[in-house]
Amino acid sequence: MAISTTDRRPVAPARKRPARRTRAGTPGRRGLLMLQLSAVAAVLVIWAVLAAAGPVSATALPGPVSVFGRFPELFGTSAYWQAVGDTLNGAVTGFVAAAVIGVPLGLVTGTYAAAEQSSRLLVDVLRSFPVIALLPVFLLVLGSTPTMKTTVVLLACVFPVFLQAQYGARSVTPMISETMDSYRIPRRLRFRKVILPSATPSVMTGLRLAATTSVLVAIGVEVLTTLPGIGHEVVQAQQGGAAAQAYAYIITAGAIGYSINLLSQFAERRLLRWRPPAHTD
Amino acid sequence: MSTRPPGALWQSLLKQLWLPVLCVAVLLIATAGSTSFYFPPATDVLATLWRELLHGGLVEDLLFSLRNIALGLGLATVLGVGAGLVIGEVELLRQATGPLLDFARATPTVAFVPVIILTLGIGSGPKIFLIALGSLWPILLNTISGVHGINPAVHETARGYRIPWRLRLLKVVLPGALPQIFAGIRVALSIAVVLMVVSEIYGSPVGLGNFILQSGSGFAVPETWAGTVLIGILGYGLSVLLLAAEYVLLGWYHQRPPRVRRTMSRSEVKT
Repeated sequence: MAISTTDRRPVAPARKRPARRTRAGTPGRRGLLMLQLSAVAAVLVIWAVLAAAGPVSATALPGPVSVFGRFPELFGTSAYWQAVGDTLNGAVTGFVAAAVIGVPLGLVTGTYAAAEQSSRLLVDVLRSFPVIALLPVFLLVLGSTPTMKTTVVLLACVFPVFLQAQYGARSVTPMISETMDSYRIPRRLRFRKVILPSATPSVMTGLRLAATTSVLVAIGVEVLTTLPGIGHEVVQAQQGGAAAQAYAYIITAGAIGYSINLLSQFAERRLLRWRPPAHTD
Repeated sequence: MSTRPPGALWQSLLKQLWLPVLCVAVLLIATAGSTSFYFPPATDVLATLWRELLHGGLVEDLLFSLRNIALGLGLATVLGVGAGLVIGEVELLRQATGPLLDFARATPTVAFVPVIILTLGIGSGPKIFLIALGSLWPILLNTISGVHGINPAVHETARGYRIPWRLRLLKVVLPGALPQIFAGIRVALSIAVVLMVVSEIYGSPVGLGNFILQSGSGFAVPETWAGTVLIGILGYGLSVLLLAAEYVLLGWYHQRPPRVRRTMSRSEVKT
């Protein structure tokens, strides 16, 4: 439950609503939506004014009308969907590989204190390593291939997954683990019935973080290499003087990241329904 | 902590150190006689790093990168904490901006690298801007949720006694949100390092990113590894520094019993 306060974005208003509605002066469901829409509108207006009259040139910041005007045309081209597919492909493959490696490893090291202590320093050093700095090395060794992109994504995603799984496994309270010890609960049963359930929320958090990271890293690799994908399209559009198109791709990237977040929150809520919503403080 | 017997410290140190030491040893031995082009002996890499630092231009690159990170992160902290305090305090504003901020945070800042650098140039200004842009969101969102998470009773008491807003800000709101602000800055730091590297690889005459790019494309393998190792040391060193600063500033918080704390220990990773 401690996880919630820090790593979570401000709690989704939807979950708080029943408590909030009673308070005077706070908007209801529809009012909230209107409020949020007007905030979006306000940002768009500020953007338009900045682009039209502001100090930045049209190549640096085209107006919202021209950026969003690109979308109908882009949706019709196969290059657009190809780029989105390429980025997602690299991101998802790397993410799945990271989950397959990171979760079991984290659970095991989290269960045994000795393993956790031994690996602590090593993991601390490795996880603060900016993976993208390895890119020139990977370019040398693996070349500019999709495998290289997947590998970089994997390396970037494995640590959040691993650390959250480890933290989750460690969150079994001493009292419970002593009880298990004294009743001599077999190891397999203990893992399935105690460690896994208590680690799941934390594992989910790790997976959510890694999902966002995977897209970020995939796009980063595409920006820096000639590998196809959204990042590459942004570079190409900008170099070709089509700033509006570059921004359209950037917004696409944001939309992908945002939907991944929404999806994983939804999945988390469904999967953890048995659990009292301790997060929402 | 102080109640532990003196031997326990050594024991825990030994437990934590044996694996890293073993790994370094294995690395040194495995690559000792290496004739592989891509994986030169680790001693060579370290020697190259040392030589470049002493005689090459690597110190200059390092300082350039460090300065950009410091300025970008500093700017993001000032803006993020300032705006976060306001948004967190005003409930209407917090609800209105929620989805917008989520979207902004979900947009990968690396995608902005070509747009910003191609239009604003390859100097250090655009890089600081990029670093600040990427680091802003975790700090802003964590400040908001830190301010929002302060116990309502505390808040209302401060209001009830009509404590002037300046005092309330400095003595109630800011200290209450500080643990989470720091958690945000820690996330922002890792983003800042990544953006530093990407922006320098993409277009820069100096900097660590430029150094590894140049040596990589020139097939100077030991130099490439040396630069990569240096970036790793930089990343770890900065995060240790930040933790130390946090320990000094938040000593009062870490000395509380864990149950009262709202944040987790080191293993929490937040983005």
